[in-house]
Amino acid sequence: MKNTLKVERAKKDWTQEDLAGKIGISRQSVNSIETGKFIPSTVLALKMAKVFGTNVELIFQLETQD
Amino acid sequence: MEQSKKDVKRNVSIFALIHVATYLPAVWILNHRLIGQPVSIIIAFVPIITFSVFIFKLIRCFSVMDEVKQRVHLEAVVIGFSLTTMLIMILFLLSLCDISKPGWFGYANLVVFCWLFYFVGWFISKKKYGI
Repeated sequence: MKNTLKVERAKKDWTQEDLAGKIGISRQSVNSIETGKFIPSTVLALKMAKVFGTNVELIFQLETQD
Repeated sequence: MEQSKKDVKRNVSIFALIHVATYLPAVWILNHRLIGQPVSIIIAFVPIITFSVFIFKLIRCFSVMDEVKQRVHLEAVVIGFSLTTMLIMILFLLSLCDISKPGWFGYANLVVFCWLFYFVGWFISKKKYGI
C-alpha cells in the first residue's frame, strides 16, 4: 500500500504534528503511516481524506503486490 | 480530549507506583516472617488488589490510545506472552530432568521476566512501526 500523505501535507503546508492534531493521533503515528510501516484503519483513512478534502483512493493506493 | 488522554496516562503511572509501593513492602514483610499466617495471607493479597486496579487503568489507557500505539502494545503483549510461556515450558521440561535453579527462576523472578519480555516485545514493535 502506498500513500500520498506527504504530498497532501505539503499542499496544505502542514507538519506531521498539524495533521496529527487534526485527526487525533500522535505525530509518531502519522510518521509510521506516512512511511508505510502501518496501514491505517478505514475510519482513520476516511478522517485523513476528510481533513485533506479529498477521497481515500487518492491518498491510499494498492500496489501490484497487495 | 487531549487533556483526558493525559489524565488517563497519569492515572496508569500513579497506580503502577501504588502497586510497587505495596508489592515491595509486602515481599519484605512476608520474607522476614514478621507476622502470623492469617495476617500474612491478607498482606499477600494487598499487592494483588493494587495490581488489579493498575491493570484496569492500563486497559482503559489502551482504549484512548491511537491505533498505531494500540498495535504496538498488542504485539508487545503477544511477544511477552510467547516468551514467558516458552520460559515456563523450558523450566518445566528441565525440572523433569532434575535441572532447576530456584534462585534464578523462582516465582518472584518469573514476574520480573514476564515484564522484561513485555518490554522486549514493546521495543521490537516500536522499532517495527518506527514510533
